Amino acid sequence: MTTPRVGERTGRIGDSTARPDGTPKVTGAFAFSSDLYLTGMLWGVTVRAPHPRAEIHGVDVGPALAVRGVAAALTAEDVPGRAVYGLDVPDQPVLARDTVRYQGEPVALVAADHPETARRAAAEVAVDYTVLEPLTDPRRALDDGSPQLHPGGNLVRHVPIRRGDPQPTAEVVVTGEYTVGMQDQAFLGPESGLAVPAADGGVDLYIATQWLHVDRDQVAAALGLAPELVRLHLSGVGGAFGAREDLSMQIHACLLALRTGRPVKMVYSREESFFGHVHRHPAILRYEHGATREGRLVYVKAEILLDGGAYASTSQAVAGNAATHAAGPYEVPNAHVDVYALYTNNPPCGAMRGFGAVQACFGYESQMDRLAAACGLDPAEIRIRNAMREGSAAITGQVLDFPAPVAELVRRVRDRPLPPQRSTDLRAMPGGVGGTTHGEDVVRGVGYGVSIKNVCFSEGFDDFATARVRLEVTGGEPVATVFTAACEVGQGLVTVQEQVVRTELGVDRVMIAPADTSVGGAGSSSASRQTYMTTGAVRAACAKVRDRLAGRDPASLGDEVIDATVEWRHRPTSPLDPVTGQGFAHVQYAFAAHRAVVDVDLGLGLVKVVELATAQDVGKAVNPLAVAGQIHGGSAQGLGLALMEEIQVRDGEIVNPSFTDYLIPTVLDMPPMSLDVLELADPNAPYGVRGVGEPPTISSTPAIVAAVRAATGRNLNRVPVRPEHITAEGLSVEAGR
Amino acid sequence: MRPFTFVRAIDADQAVAGYAREPEWAMYLGGGTNLVDLMRLGVAEPGLLIDVTRLPYDRVEEAPGGGLRIGAAVRNSDLAADPAVRRDYPVLAAALLAGASGQLRNQATVGGNLLQRTRCGYFQDVTKPCNKRRSGSGCPAVEGDHRNLAILGHSEHCVATHPSDMAVALTALGATVHVRGRAGERIVPMPGLHRLPGDEPDRDTVLDPGDLITAVELPPLELAARSRYRKVRERASFAFALVSVAAALDAEDGAVRDCRIALGGVAHVPWRAEAAEEELRGGPATDDAFRAAADAELAAARPLRDNGYKVPLARELIVRTLAELRDGTGADASGGTP
Ligand SMILES: Cc1cc2nc3c(=O)[nH]c(=O)nc-3n(C[C@H](O)[C@H](O)[C@H](O)COP(=O)(O)OP(=O)(O)OC[C@H]3O[C@@H](n4cnc5c(N)ncnc54)[C@H](O)[C@@H]3O)c2cc1C
Ligand code: SF4
Repeated sequence: MTTPRVGERTGRIGDSTARPDGTPKVTGAFAFSSDLYLTGMLWGVTVRAPHPRAEIHGVDVGPALAVRGVAAALTAEDVPGRAVYGLDVPDQPVLARDTVRYQGEPVALVAADHPETARRAAAEVAVDYTVLEPLTDPRRALDDGSPQLHPGGNLVRHVPIRRGDPQPTAEVVVTGEYTVGMQDQAFLGPESGLAVPAADGGVDLYIATQWLHVDRDQVAAALGLAPELVRLHLSGVGGAFGAREDLSMQIHACLLALRTGRPVKMVYSREESFFGHVHRHPAILRYEHGATREGRLVYVKAEILLDGGAYASTSQAVAGNAATHAAGPYEVPNAHVDVYALYTNNPPCGAMRGFGAVQACFGYESQMDRLAAACGLDPAEIRIRNAMREGSAAITGQVLDFPAPVAELVRRVRDRPLPPQRSTDLRAMPGGVGGTTHGEDVVRGVGYGVSIKNVCFSEGFDDFATARVRLEVTGGEPVATVFTAACEVGQGLVTVQEQVVRTELGVDRVMIAPADTSVGGAGSSSASRQTYMTTGAVRAACAKVRDRLAGRDPASLGDEVIDATVEWRHRPTSPLDPVTGQGFAHVQYAFAAHRAVVDVDLGLGLVKVVELATAQDVGKAVNPLAVAGQIHGGSAQGLGLALMEEIQVRDGEIVNPSFTDYLIPTVLDMPPMSLDVLELADPNAPYGVRGVGEPPTISSTPAIVAAVRAATGRNLNRVPVRPEHITAEGLSVEAGR
Repeated sequence: MRPFTFVRAIDADQAVAGYAREPEWAMYLGGGTNLVDLMRLGVAEPGLLIDVTRLPYDRVEEAPGGGLRIGAAVRNSDLAADPAVRRDYPVLAAALLAGASGQLRNQATVGGNLLQRTRCGYFQDVTKPCNKRRSGSGCPAVEGDHRNLAILGHSEHCVATHPSDMAVALTALGATVHVRGRAGERIVPMPGLHRLPGDEPDRDTVLDPGDLITAVELPPLELAARSRYRKVRERASFAFALVSVAAALDAEDGAVRDCRIALGGVAHVPWRAEAAEEELRGGPATDDAFRAAADAELAAARPLRDNGYKVPLARELIVRTLAELRDGTGADASGGTP
């Protein structure tokens, strides 16, 4: 792959193309939403509840209003429209009125002419709480004695899957219980935006988000305004990973702007950001796998509890994903799966890269290793024996009508040469430059992980993307402009759109208009779907333009402007049967395999990932450079979950809300990676593309843990793995807290 | 953050006098890498910030009686790179480089590093009770999250640890801290600067309000030329210690003539392992003896519910570090990058 020159943007489909935002982000010149500024604007600040569960008897904003420089202080009483919001279930108050369900829940808002003034005034807001015992153990959520956190009880969704023989037996049976801690998306750009009141009584919101239209609809409902009076404009996004799918300050900034008649900016601090977005669902997974002596899967039984925290967010869909992916990328004739997403008073959980498939994958891949051991098989071999392929049926009964090269992916990582034995460079040792070992007590292990992940929205969701393409001659040259509401969140969508237009229209000059709600919806930049969907929409719009061009040279258009808009859909999916969980739920699956090589310091419990080899089928690498970036980044996020990333929640309260105390991998923690990118076109997808972003996050975690198990002989049933889970005398805490 | 006045002191008298005028509200500001964070969190609320980084304490020089005198305003990066430190006290350079990140070390000062506050999560969260932040409000860490906290010397009132790596090395080396207070100059030995929490966890050190650290002095100490720092952390760089060890060893003919050992991440103070040193001096320099010495020190450990793992970690680290010093093996981490 040739490295393109920085700033050179001429690529067509399949060419490595540099991102326009890449260099500015690295040099610090990129304008993020937190850099937005308007003369005369106010600064909004959120008053948050310090308790995970409490009753509110009164909120007195008087003392805040008395602070000089304060322009407004609002409570739940000041929400003119719908008092609640939510992606799937509107269960989350815009501002808490009489109940607090999680620590950090917004209770009131203050706007002032200076951010410090606003913060100080916010501290003056007096809230009268009665603190209640929080429900923090998801295993107790459905108990009779537990408090009902929402009117419908504490069950957000139960997804059963029943396939084949209800009472299967097998020659070899392995069981296990696994736990996944709460991971944070850890994006670098905290929640921020600027709301500007408009002359027509509406509001313009400049915002870093993943899904403009769904934000707009929720904001408009809360403001009691028609959707067309609420206009959203995408601002510079500093990472998303799912954390921007739910609203944060969107409604709040608009409320303050409309109340004061002035622009209002809100920016969360890093610490506040930990309370300002949803996290990855912690999970407890119980598995039983049955197989023949030869290691062929006979059945999978699974019960998965997902702690959804205080509000529903996307818990329903996450549960659907955990269930449909519960057996992994393997053929298994009998399945009995129950996934429960539950309300507790823990921080709300929702979308994060991997979306339910991450938790399941740690469970089923741990099981595959146990099964391999029980059958006396190599871990790679058992995966190859059971691998799904085109024509296989998933446990939902869905038949895979696209390439599914699972066995090939495993073979490719298995057959890579192993990295050399230890080097003497301290940085290559467990503990790194901490100098904790110079080779004493260090053992090596190798492990595998294979992931399956749906691409696009599922279970019958009406999933579409809109694109408008305009072709005209400007300055004597044909220029195409693309208008969408599709959010560039750092994944490289801007180049993808350009590449499609260059390929379809043969026009080199392509402009991507800033994303906003003036065109139809594009859906979320999530579920590994945006390249799939927006590529489909832009290509279809280009086809329309080409029709109207009717064979003419674009340069000969003169004053004529060709303008075409298309709302594009992938083939429909269907809901899961509520009793059996059977159905054509996912439009596409993506697969990745990892082989991890680790060195472990047995005495200190420290792990150095020496190498990650990965193979992934991407259908078509639209921009190979961006594909490699996604695989590197996704694998790093998976490494984080395997070894260090966890929001420590105790009694419903977050203990480590900072990047000093919430650890994400550094460049020294990331090993060299070898990438094998397969391009087996999915005939159902534009250009054959397959979503790329999520699979590497999913399979790197179990691969690393498997390697640590192989090195240490420990069970390691919980991620992240901590030193005390590895060191001998720490055995008592093996299962984690 | 509350509004504050900022002044930049140009000499020590001015700084101390400035403090004395606003004793309730004044704070010295070093590199600000800890204090400014705490101000943003509302944990520290100074009304007057006195910048002491421009005082003439920015040099590392030979001390009158031998040893090194390190100005309180010397940046952590500069100290770690100082040739005399690297040659004569490698444990100090290694400890500094094991801490924080390059950017932070460029900014952080010696005085500020010594007086940085604990990373205990409750201390940093003003909505929580915490005896260290608000005397008498209680210590939620005892029953709550304390995986990273103390196993030695803690009290029911506070189980926090001191987070500094540098201070562990200084404690092993027996540094002295030069302090300028209202009553003039005085010298505080290490160990001795930091105090155990007892029933006054709000006091990290024996310093009085307004005391200004002007320098740290390292005694001439031949065995320090053979010294090491080892630090266990959960990622390869840029993380605080779970446990760390600073050690120096003088062993000959299989016997320990002298040694210095201090532990980090285990107590409210950088913990000088006097019992272990005592056990070792004059005895054999064998792995068994090292283990026995570690056990002698750790016999006093009283781990909490979730931090018992630190005991074997500390033992293992002591044994390995001493063995490495004895054998003269292993690279010197002071040359490493972040
Ligand atoms: C992300 C992050 C990671 C870190 N990781 C590590 C780590 O791994 N290991 C480690 O050891 N440290 C670590 N640190 C802490 C860092 O070492 C300290 O923040 C730094 O050393 C403090 O020095 P400073 O000059 O910036 O102090 P300041 O923040 O300026 O001051 C700290 C305190 O010292 C007082 N003070 C400063 N100078 C004087 C003086 N001359 N006399 C009297 N009082 C004074 C101040 O009033 C204040 O109370 C980390 C910090 C961060 C932010
Ligand atoms: S351990 Fe100390 S710092 Fe932490 S909460 Fe208790 S008193 Fe506060």
